[in-house]
Amino acid sequence: MKTCLIVDDSRMIRRVAGRIVKELGFETVEAVNGQEALDKCRVDMPHAVLVDWAMPVMDGFDFVKKLRELPGGDAPTVVFCTSVRDVERIVDALAAGADEYIMKPFDSDIIESKFALAGLV
Amino acid sequence: MSAADRHGALSLAPSYYDALRRLTLELAGINLGANHAFLVETRLSRLAREEGYESLDTMIDELFKTGGSKLAVQVVSALTERDIHFFKDKRAFKRLKEIVLPDLHHKRGGGRIRLLSFGCASGQEPYGMAMTIDRMSGQLEGLKVDIVGVDYPSQALDRARQGKYTHFDVQRGLPIQDLVDYFEPAQADWVIKSHIRERVEFRDIHLLSTLDGLEEFHAVVFCGSLPHYSAPARVRVLRGLSGLVKENGYLILGEGEDLSQMNFGFDRVDNKSGLYKKREVQIEPEIDETLKVPNGRTTFEKASKRRKVLIKPKSS
Repeated sequence: MKTCLIVDDSRMIRRVAGRIVKELGFETVEAVNGQEALDKCRVDMPHAVLVDWAMPVMDGFDFVKKLRELPGGDAPTVVFCTSVRDVERIVDALAAGADEYIMKPFDSDIIESKFALAGLV
Repeated sequence: MSAADRHGALSLAPSYYDALRRLTLELAGINLGANHAFLVETRLSRLAREEGYESLDTMIDELFKTGGSKLAVQVVSALTERDIHFFKDKRAFKRLKEIVLPDLHHKRGGGRIRLLSFGCASGQEPYGMAMTIDRMSGQLEGLKVDIVGVDYPSQALDRARQGKYTHFDVQRGLPIQDLVDYFEPAQADWVIKSHIRERVEFRDIHLLSTLDGLEEFHAVVFCGSLPHYSAPARVRVLRGLSGLVKENGYLILGEGEDLSQMNFGFDRVDNKSGLYKKREVQIEPEIDETLKVPNGRTTFEKASKRRKVLIKPKSS
C-alpha cells in the first residue's frame, strides 16, 4: 500500500486530511512539524507528502527544500496544504520542489482532485 | 427514505415536482429522473433567494400561474446546471490537444479557426480550451483561435462572463501552475487574466433551438450532457450541431458518449471513441445540356449509321 506523510501542527487537520487520504487508498503517517517529517523520511521515504506551510521548529517550505536534497528525496510527490494563498508564495513552493498546492479550507473533492493532478490516484 | 426527506421536509406540493420535471423535459429535453425533489429544493431555493422571492413556493406559484418565459428559463437552467470543474473531461482535452488542434493548424497554417463549447455552463470548459491553446502557442504558430461558449441564459453563464471563480472552483481539476499563470486573486475569489478572458465570447442560446444564429465552427466540444437528453432531444441537438461544424471539422464528445447508430454526417476519427470528423459534401458535377441531348436513338443505331456512311462505295 502507498504511504502518505501528513505534516501539520494541527491535530484536527491531520485527522481530517488523514481520513480523506485513507479513502484514496493510502496508509498514513503523521508528523507535527518539518523536522519530525524529515526524520521520518530518512527512515522510510513515503510515496506522497501533504504538508502545511506555517509550523513550529521547521516550516513546510524548509522541509520541502531539505527533503529534495535527501537521497531518494526527489521521489515523493509533495502537495502543500496551507492557508497561504499569495501567488508569490505558491511560486516559491513550486520552485522549492512542491508538485501541487492546496489552499485551506479544503474538502475531499479538492484533495482527490489535487492527488489526481499529481498522478497519485 | 428519499434524498429530500433525509435532508429535511420538502416545502413544495408534490404535484409541482412533476410539473417541474415536465417543464425541464419540454424546454431543455433533459429528464431529471425520479429522485429529483432534493435537486429541485436546493437549486431552486437558491434561485428564489437570489431573485428576491419571499420563498420557493412564491416563485413556483408565479412560474405556473403567470407562465413567464424568462422565469421558466431561469428555473430550467438552475435545474439542469451541471457540476462542472476545470478540465473535467480529460479525454476531450487530450483529443483537442493531440489531434484536433495540430490537424487544424497543419491544414490552416496561419489562418483563423473557431471553436465552440456547446453547453458551457459557468465557463470552465471554454476557458480551459483557451489555456490549452495558450500552452500550445509554440506548436500552433500563426494560428488565431476564437472560442465561443454557449448555453441557456443563466446565473452560471453570467459567472462565466465575469471569469470569476471561487476558492473551491479553482482547486478542482485546475493544475496549480495554471492557477499561477492564468488567474489573479480577487479578494476571496480568483479571476481569469484578461488575455485569456478576451479569447472567449459567451452567448445565450436555447440549445434545442435551430441554432441559426450561430456561424460554422472548425471544432465543437460537447461534453457531459448527451446522456441526460431524452431520445428525441438528443437527435435534435446532434442534428443542430451537425449544421454548425464545417466540413472536415471536428465534433468532440465526452467520456463514454457516442453518436451510436445515427452518424449525423460525421465519421469516427481513427476509431477513437467520442471524436468525429464532419464529412465533405459530395457535389454532383453539373450536366452540360449541350453535350447530352436525348434524340431517341440508341448508341448502337448511331454507330451503325456512321458505319454505313464510312463504307458507302464511291460512285464510279
